[in-house]
Amino acid sequence: MNVFWAVLWKDLVSEWRSRDRVVSMLVFSALVVLVLQFALPADAGRRLQGGVAGLLWVAYVFAGVLGLNRAFALELENEALSGLALAPADRGFLFLGKAIANALLLGVVQAATALVFALFFDVSLAPVAPGFALVAALGALGISSMGTLFAALAVRTRQREVMLPLLLLPVLVPVLFGAVRATSGLLSDGTLQAAPLQLLAVTDAVYLIVSFVLFEFVLDE
Amino acid sequence: MPRAALDRLAARLRTPTLALALALAAAWLYAVASAPNDAVQGPIQKILYVHVPVAFAAYLGFLVTAIGGALYLWRGDEQYDRLGISAAEVGVLFCTLVIVTGPIWARGTWGKWWSWDPRLTVTLLLWFIYLAYLLIRSFTEGSERGARFAAVYGIAGLAAIPLNYFAIDLFGSRAIHPENLQRGSLGEGMGLPFGLGVIAAIAAFFHLLARRLEVEALRQADAAFAAGAAPIRAGSAR
Repeated sequence: MNVFWAVLWKDLVSEWRSRDRVVSMLVFSALVVLVLQFALPADAGRRLQGGVAGLLWVAYVFAGVLGLNRAFALELENEALSGLALAPADRGFLFLGKAIANALLLGVVQAATALVFALFFDVSLAPVAPGFALVAALGALGISSMGTLFAALAVRTRQREVMLPLLLLPVLVPVLFGAVRATSGLLSDGTLQAAPLQLLAVTDAVYLIVSFVLFEFVLDE
Repeated sequence: MPRAALDRLAARLRTPTLALALALAAAWLYAVASAPNDAVQGPIQKILYVHVPVAFAAYLGFLVTAIGGALYLWRGDEQYDRLGISAAEVGVLFCTLVIVTGPIWARGTWGKWWSWDPRLTVTLLLWFIYLAYLLIRSFTEGSERGARFAAVYGIAGLAAIPLNYFAIDLFGSRAIHPENLQRGSLGEGMGLPFGLGVIAAIAAFFHLLARRLEVEALRQADAAFAAGAAPIRAGSAR
């Protein structure tokens, strides 16, 4: 369990010192929202309300993939990944530390992007902020759990950064389904529906457990 | 070096499965030709006798891939890794057939090529997961690390598929793909060609799997020999 806190702290502190990952994720997701704004008619947000929820989550997924790629690219330098692998600790908790750190960073990006999104698409998130925060957190956890596992895997293949979205997106569909439905419900009539939340919770639990167990095999001996 | 148990099994099964698949295919063709036309859809409904059996094989393929991966991670024996890659390659073939025959049928009955029905969506996702599995193999150039990574992804993918199905089933509207898994849901005279088709497809799957396993064993033996290992008796004729 100490490994978990140590890795979590290390990742967050090193990110705080350089802030390069969060900044690039933020700028990227803002740009994605901007591009999506051009993809739809001008008053889409006002007319569709809940219908634009999916666009926000597209931005989140892209930002998440960007951040996850960078998370392990850093570890590849100076053989830090081997150092982690050699640590006499349960690798599952090592995974958990990294996954939660990634989820927290994604959470920060989600909050800022939500503001940008609400501004560009003229939807009101403020009245449903607590519910939205819950949905965003569950979504971030789902993206980060399998994302951390696959990022550790992808970064040591030949195609590196390109591999991660190929591996991750099919597996993220349940997370996206729950998150988009929940967000859509929040945006259209302010209600937090139980069914999408349950789907998100179950998916997160399954993905966390599966990734926790499998991470062992992704680090070389 | 003695041949692995799976390779011996593959060699033994190769001819029987081929014979079974061909014999069943002949019987199936006859049964399909003489089966009655569907009352509503007409003759195009007969694509069912191809579409559903290959779908069973496609899902079976992924199950075998994941099992091979799990066994490889557990035991470290290369024969299980060979099972994984072989099942994935054969499975993706059958999955492609499902995605090709489906829209042909759909166009004839629903009037459109595609729909975001749960079953179609999940099968498409399965196809993408297969593809990602094969990409991992090709981007790690057959190394031990690649085998391990692919095994991990196979297991993760297996966890994702039922979740995908539940997710899309819960919220996907427009569920127009028929649910035909109960007894008696097929019309009279349709059970025989359907059953024959399923067994023929599964026999074909195992035949192709056995063939692919042999090819993979030969390829790995050749690679090991080229890398300087002692000569290996691989693929001795029966």
